[in-house]
Amino acid sequence: MTTEARRKWSTFAWTALTYILVFLLVFPVLWMALTGFKTEIAAINIPPILFFQPTLDQFLLAIQGGFGGYLFNSVVAALVSTALALVLGIPAAYAMVFHMPTKSSNDMLFFVLSTRFMPFAAILVPLYVIITRLNLLDNLFTLIVIYTAMNLPLIIWMARSYFLELPKEVLEGAWLDGSSTLQTIVRIVVPMAAPGLTAAALLAIIFAWNDFFFAVTLTYTNSPTLPIMVTSNEGLSLARVSALATLIILVPVAIGIYAQRYLVQGLTGGALK
Amino acid sequence: MSQTNQAVQVPVLPDMKKRAVPTVPPGERRTWLHLPALVYMIVLTQIPFLLAVWFSLHAWNLLVPSEGFPFVGLSNYVTEFVRDANFWPIMGNTLELVAGAMILALVAGTILALLLNRPMWGRNVLRGIATVPFLVTPSVMALIWKNLFLSPSSGMINWLLHFIGIPAVPWFSAFPLQSIIFIVAWEWTPFVMLVILAGLQSVPGEVLEAAKVDGANAFTTFWRVVFPLLRKPYQIAILFGTIFIFQTFGEIYVTTTGGPGLTTNTLPYYTYRAALSSFQIGQAATLGVIGVVVAILAARGMLRLMTERTASERG
Repeated sequence: MTTEARRKWSTFAWTALTYILVFLLVFPVLWMALTGFKTEIAAINIPPILFFQPTLDQFLLAIQGGFGGYLFNSVVAALVSTALALVLGIPAAYAMVFHMPTKSSNDMLFFVLSTRFMPFAAILVPLYVIITRLNLLDNLFTLIVIYTAMNLPLIIWMARSYFLELPKEVLEGAWLDGSSTLQTIVRIVVPMAAPGLTAAALLAIIFAWNDFFFAVTLTYTNSPTLPIMVTSNEGLSLARVSALATLIILVPVAIGIYAQRYLVQGLTGGALK
Repeated sequence: MSQTNQAVQVPVLPDMKKRAVPTVPPGERRTWLHLPALVYMIVLTQIPFLLAVWFSLHAWNLLVPSEGFPFVGLSNYVTEFVRDANFWPIMGNTLELVAGAMILALVAGTILALLLNRPMWGRNVLRGIATVPFLVTPSVMALIWKNLFLSPSSGMINWLLHFIGIPAVPWFSAFPLQSIIFIVAWEWTPFVMLVILAGLQSVPGEVLEAAKVDGANAFTTFWRVVFPLLRKPYQIAILFGTIFIFQTFGEIYVTTTGGPGLTTNTLPYYTYRAALSSFQIGQAATLGVIGVVVAILAARGMLRLMTERTASERG
């Protein structure tokens, strides 16, 4: 073999290996989606069945049994908490970048990061006691309040890193024109940082959507979210649970792939771009 | 508050230094714009933490209201460290889960990042697909792992193993913690991959060229040239990965509920059980406070280790 041919072959081999490994990595998700299209008999069959007559029955069954209620809770909790986190977080990030002395701005950033590092289990007990006293257990409002707190650090550190990139001449111009702070934020800062803020909001939606800890500890029958529905349907049927699980993961997977570029930054507090 | 603050003396955050300092009108220098967010975070995280500390100094069982809320000093802590036979095994489980899943994710994530850093057809799509395990709802996917893949009767893994003559393994009773470690590592592999990929993009091409010219093979190039340049991405992957893996909950809840026995109880899971199964509020608060201290010590320890290594190698 010539050197050239050998190099070509090795390039091909590495590429093939990459494809195989990525396929293996996502195989469980693919197989789950496939199982959702099977009958229950086909789903539990060993050896596993690859070729079968696909059916939508399991998906149709999955979206019965209260699916609408769970979906409503998930959607409202994720969207409202993200909106609240944006409303609280954008002004905070704006203040940190443009109005605060460097030292207090950095102190605030450390504080923001540290709240995200706090183990949820540590604050579960007092939160549970307070929520019970306020008669707010099993209430969608409670989940919204908690998800807002969970997502606020993410929104602040991402917004902050985008605000740092804004050309300050534009902002100075706005201040010289006598534009108020609120006007500056709404008319100039938010539109200019819109792509980054959108990504931050999308990541916040994923976190709220995927939460299990607070959903399972603080809700029972009034405000459970979709992940709770999966666990309560577990015993019913493998194919049906697969269909339900597939529906649920569609949202974070679609959002995550769309906002892929921002994923790392969102998770690591802008420590790595 | 100050304690948790110290937990994150992150030596990274490069953009902190180049803050834009535009000329703000003098009256605008003082601002309250950050206060709503600050107050919100304090009310939702710091005050509950202080309450947890306060509760941990009391005996309080919701199921025995007649006992009241007597102050017991540090005796809840003494009980955990000395008398609670479950405590140290559970700390061991926690360490095994975090270290095991983190190491596996680091190895797998590095391999994927290196492979996906090569130019090839469909690379961006592949990268997107490879992030999927990290995006899927963890509790939901753990349940799927349990029923579709690791089930002793209809699981695919046992079916694959029978080809090489291995009899059916009841994964969650024979290897409960290891099974959970495997699932968690699967979820966190894409996170490591993304962080390392981001790091690899900042490795200058000339460095690699030079190594190639010097006749270094791929492995040597990675180990001697690329790996040292990736110190910061690895620090970030380990710091954030460890802290989030420590919080693993749904995966345990839906697969083993902490069992068999206590074998898959971790500190956060044990805290949850003390609170919401046995309603031992005093004990649960104590475990929660210990959890925060462990998280702080771990974060500081890792940071110190990392910064020291950097410093010694610079000198």
